[in-house]
Amino acid sequence: MSALTATSLVRRYGAVEAVRGVDLAVEPGELHGLVGPDGAGKTTTIGCLAGLMHPDAGEVRVLGEDPMARGSSAREHLGLMPQEYSLYGDLTVGENLHFFGQLFGLDRATYRARVERLLGITRLAPFADRRADALSGGMYKKLALSCALLHEPEALLLDEPTNGVDPVSRRELWELIYAFVDDGMAVLVSTPTMDEAARCHLVSLMHEGRIVAQGAPGALTDALENPVCEVVGGERGALHELLEGHEAVVAASPAGARLRVVLTPGAEPRIAADLAPLGAELRRVPPDFEDLFLATVWRAGHDEAA
Amino acid sequence: MRQSLAMLAAVVQKEVRQTMRDRRMMALLVMAPLIQLIIFGFAVSFEVDEVPAVIVDLDQSHQSRTDLQRLLADRTLVAVAERPSVPEAERLLERGEAAVVIVVPRGFERDLARGRPATVQTIVDGGDPNRAGVATSAVTSYFAAESEARVRARVRRANARLPEVRTSSRVLFNPTLDTSVYMVPGVMAMLLLLITTIVSSMGLAREREVGTLEQILVTPVSSGVLIVGKMLPFAVVGLIDFGIALVVGSVVFDMPLRGSLTLLAVGTLFYLMTTLGVGLLIATLSRSQQQAFLGGFLFLLPAALLSGIMTPIRSMPEWLQPWTLINPLRHYQEILRGSLLRGASFEELHVQLITLAVMGALVLSFASFRFRRSLR
Repeated sequence: MSALTATSLVRRYGAVEAVRGVDLAVEPGELHGLVGPDGAGKTTTIGCLAGLMHPDAGEVRVLGEDPMARGSSAREHLGLMPQEYSLYGDLTVGENLHFFGQLFGLDRATYRARVERLLGITRLAPFADRRADALSGGMYKKLALSCALLHEPEALLLDEPTNGVDPVSRRELWELIYAFVDDGMAVLVSTPTMDEAARCHLVSLMHEGRIVAQGAPGALTDALENPVCEVVGGERGALHELLEGHEAVVAASPAGARLRVVLTPGAEPRIAADLAPLGAELRRVPPDFEDLFLATVWRAGHDEAA
Repeated sequence: MRQSLAMLAAVVQKEVRQTMRDRRMMALLVMAPLIQLIIFGFAVSFEVDEVPAVIVDLDQSHQSRTDLQRLLADRTLVAVAERPSVPEAERLLERGEAAVVIVVPRGFERDLARGRPATVQTIVDGGDPNRAGVATSAVTSYFAAESEARVRARVRRANARLPEVRTSSRVLFNPTLDTSVYMVPGVMAMLLLLITTIVSSMGLAREREVGTLEQILVTPVSSGVLIVGKMLPFAVVGLIDFGIALVVGSVVFDMPLRGSLTLLAVGTLFYLMTTLGVGLLIATLSRSQQQAFLGGFLFLLPAALLSGIMTPIRSMPEWLQPWTLINPLRHYQEILRGSLLRGASFEELHVQLITLAVMGALVLSFASFRFRRSLR
């Protein structure tokens, strides 16, 4: 049985359809990334899975149960780290942990052992008496994650956990997440940052309320039909003029001193021919996740138009 | 069950911690009621004296001067100016420098001496009806007594007897007709409303605004436990404030404590159910603390005005009077005044007590229902 499932999930806000038929499943021990730009519907999907809002159509299941149902035990086995501030700023690190420990019904010994472990991994132990609103962004997120992990949930929802976090804290957060995934926890993590998608076992690419691609990050980039190239040589202004708005160019963005382009499938020779008079040539590079996303969004729009 | 109690304790402990840590909140909860009670107790008094008066003595006689002097002697009216003509005196009235003009007509002394009627005129500023009433009645009752004395003297001289009816009035419960004794219980009721309704609705709105509510909602804690845990500390604060107000009221304002404390406690408990219920209801309608605060005042003001604390319900428009029955403050102030000032018993106040209990149960359950639904 999957730990977290969404089936044909639809959620509207008034006339706006934030989520338009999402299907996904997260197995125990799986780190699943929900990747997409702001406004793609990631937070709404997570909110529905957490039982914070009713789906307008479709259904969600947490360990086989409806998280909204009365008397559902789903909440005892579910953890959530919301994107927004979710802790009491006027309580200390220790008091926040204690409060949530109580709400999850942990006995004293279990609570002590877990807090010690979590504070150890996050290196928050020296700050136990500091008020939460006096923590740095990274420390705050680590505390929020610790609060969500206190009851060692079987399924964990993380909404942009690394948003506004410095690189060092970011790595620590991921370490903490991996430690629990290795123990068999099912984790769904949303992120707008494409490079973080590569850290996940499986990735669902989300765009305008729909999942436009799903699979292992490596397999997804390997299967990409669109060629990804760097443009070598040539004068930047002239290159820009040629490539900008070219119907065979999906996206062009500067990468260091060079221009990185994602092309429509099979367009490589044509573009190379166009570039030759400008003294520039194409050099094929391995696609990364951002290229995948841009190409997938392009294909979604292309299919719709067709 | 034990689990729920532990969760309840956690919510209460958290709430108390947060409140104690918030100095401004502590000030609002403990100091503000005290200060307000004292200010209201002294200031909200309906006794009127030292009404500024302008004298227009057109007679300038010995008689007119004596009468005016005696009229002003008890300081209900105070002469702020003397003017030779009525239009000039009226100008002071227009400028708000005086509230009443007293005109003694020309020929006043002569008319009285000859046994002819004389007319003393008063012109009042009706802007403050209460003060206007006090001013006219001071002039009327002084000259009425004067006339009566003249009549008596004449009757005596004629060796006749005057048929008369005398009135004797005795004031029960508040023999000195001291308005602050009457006001303090009303102010106590309003303070409880302020604290329990506004503070509790803001507390819940804050959880939503800050985002902590989401984190709580994914824990196994039930919304019932959450509501009770958040309300309980404020109910206790309300009761403590009530106790303080009771002591201050009796020490500073000589307010009597005639009724039973049990009755007061039961009535207060029922009342708190309604005020906390309204607070919860406002929280379900508010997205932010600011909205909750404004919503609280939207309830507080009409509730205070239509409670009978400031103005008697009998003197409100007739169509409005039945509506005051749905105002918990009205019933509670009747319980408070009845019990404190008159020593009223359970039997005398059972209608108010039952009404409050029913109201409290209804409001609380409706608000909890709405709160639960608003979480989704």
